[in-house]
Amino acid sequence: MKHLPKHLRPRWRYLAVGIESWPEADLDRGTVQRHLWYGAQNLVGDVGSAAIDLQVMSFSHRDGYGEAIVRTRRGETDRARAVIASVGRIDGEDVALRVRGISGTVRACEEKYMGRRPEGPEQRDVAFRGADRPAHVGEQRVDVATDGGFAGATTLDI
Amino acid sequence: MYESVHAHPDGQSTVARMALTASEAGYDGIVVRNHGDAPAPYDPETIRETYDIDVVTGVEVRTDDPSRASGFVGNHREKQTIVAVHGGDPTMNRFAVEQPSVDVLAHPMAGDGDFNHVLAREAAENGVRVELSFRHVLRRDGGQRVQAIRGLVKLHELLTHYDTPYVVTGDPDSHLHLRGPRELAALGEEIGIPAEDIEAGLAEWETLAERNRARQSDAFVEPGVWLGSRHDDE
Repeated sequence: MKHLPKHLRPRWRYLAVGIESWPEADLDRGTVQRHLWYGAQNLVGDVGSAAIDLQVMSFSHRDGYGEAIVRTRRGETDRARAVIASVGRIDGEDVALRVRGISGTVRACEEKYMGRRPEGPEQRDVAFRGADRPAHVGEQRVDVATDGGFAGATTLDI
Repeated sequence: MYESVHAHPDGQSTVARMALTASEAGYDGIVVRNHGDAPAPYDPETIRETYDIDVVTGVEVRTDDPSRASGFVGNHREKQTIVAVHGGDPTMNRFAVEQPSVDVLAHPMAGDGDFNHVLAREAAENGVRVELSFRHVLRRDGGQRVQAIRGLVKLHELLTHYDTPYVVTGDPDSHLHLRGPRELAALGEEIGIPAEDIEAGLAEWETLAERNRARQSDAFVEPGVWLGSRHDDE
């Protein structure tokens, strides 16, 4: 179809979203997109979901850390923020999606808020709460494998 | 603005990890509100300095017997800056709002708990902060979430009508559950609680912490009475 004239094209805002999860969670663009749609439908309904029109534009995630750019309609950024905040689990894995900032173009969004991946975590045993346990050790963050799943810690705790 | 958290072993992440995450999310401080039977080992001073965020000691007293709760509150009052009571059943809700020595009645609408005008007035009179907890709004879905939203909106209506002081929290059990102040405000706005009220509720933790720290200091005698420094005229 022919492109819309410029003044009739929808105006977008691009949300820089930081993604945090436990180190072994496996997320991809499709599942995150699907859960954003579910989340929108649950919180603001079909009408609201169509109005905020969330779309995951770029996506990367590994070792419990990720970044994504999520597009929404201009003027709906607050509702988009509420929806993104309410997504707490993706395919049974706890996740935190945190809006770092909002830009008017993808490029500005990338330059200002993206590319903050910390040094990749190394896997080694650490002393945590009086026992040696395997852990993913990053610059500051440490995820320790305990009997009841991972525990979140920092370098202060080991 | 401050957030209150359950840290390892009550939650999944240590106080330090919570502090680091909260600091990045835009909070000025965290209140550690582990349940009384699962205290967290931590050093507030070191964490404060490392991650540039205030760490307030606290406890959430959990029992279903008011007379035991009274004892626990008395024991913790001296040592912890903030003492909350685990609400959510009618007896404990009533107990908490009647005690001026209780700082916060936590999640009164949870479980089979409820709140009404009598409790709202009592809480206002005794200066007990009532908590608006986003826990179930953030982490449940379907009917349970609908119920949580309904409860929260009702509670907010009562609290604003009777000018009862309140605090707001996302009540995270792990750093992955923690949401920033703007996120909570946006979510509040969406379910019908104005963003200003959410921000006021998050700021209230700080007010409370400052008041209690002043009270814990050596110069404090009783509300309104302080030991002044003596200036001898020589």
